[in-house]
Amino acid sequence: MIKTTEKLVFESPKSLKAGMKFPFCAGCDHGVAIRLVAEVLDEMNLKEKTIAVASIGCSVMLYDYLDTDCIEAPHGRALAAATGVKRTNKDKFVLTYQGDGDFASIGLAESLHAALRGEKVSAICINNTTYGMTGGQAGPTTIMGQITKTSPNGRNEEYYGYPIKIAEQIALCDGTAYSARCSLDSIANIKKTKEAIRKTFEVQLQGLGFGFVEILSTCPTNWHLTPQESHERVRNELFQVYPLGVYKEV
Amino acid sequence: MNYIKLDKTRCKACYLCVDVCPKKLIIKGSQPNSLGHFPVEFKDPDNKCIGCAMCAMRCPDIAITEVVKN
Repeated sequence: MIKTTEKLVFESPKSLKAGMKFPFCAGCDHGVAIRLVAEVLDEMNLKEKTIAVASIGCSVMLYDYLDTDCIEAPHGRALAAATGVKRTNKDKFVLTYQGDGDFASIGLAESLHAALRGEKVSAICINNTTYGMTGGQAGPTTIMGQITKTSPNGRNEEYYGYPIKIAEQIALCDGTAYSARCSLDSIANIKKTKEAIRKTFEVQLQGLGFGFVEILSTCPTNWHLTPQESHERVRNELFQVYPLGVYKEV
Repeated sequence: MNYIKLDKTRCKACYLCVDVCPKKLIIKGSQPNSLGHFPVEFKDPDNKCIGCAMCAMRCPDIAITEVVKN
């Protein structure tokens, strides 16, 4: 019990299930991203009207963390499922939480067409440049030269081609109202990410169109780095390939 | 007096909070928890904590459950 002169400057968000523990590896930024989503849901008072759509990957068990209604979509089809949910429940707030493999590889058609149709949903994509859950294979966002389980000599253009820049691609779609890329490598960037998530939710509530935020995350286990070194890698290597910023805002 | 509440059963010992604390009040612990990790400890004998909540914002596992500012 805190005294009356004391002020609680941080507490666990109400939109997260009480007593829930994240099963992620130590230092994984998924926990920060999900907490930020829950904090914004709390602050915008959206908990009771939210239907979240979970995807496949490390983001799969979103329904175990968020204390909102959730459905689980087949691999890559989170935005297709979210389209159906939003079109039949226009008063609900619909968000998807996906990884880069789910959003930009298996589900690229669903994701891109949801943006082209201008669906009034919010999509969050966690980009860790690898397939984290299945053991660190090369994904669509794996950067040039990155060594993974399926690119043991590093990604090269002859064999693997080039990585996809999701936030820029989504920004090109006419139905997109907001598209941004953020990072979780530092406190300043965590705060900016929270504001981007808030903006993504606002464009849906205002009915402006598709809201999207790509969050650069880490995968210390599959990158074979410590959590601290992983954030260094985000700053030194990923920022060159994936510049942070707001790519579209109507 | 500002302080944080630490849930040691949630800590996975990534030590990201150790780096962000501006007053270096969070240190690596020596007693393992039920997960087998060595959770961090909050040591603030001189009341140096400024209640910035950066450690809580950084923690991926919400092991720092509350930050209280006075």
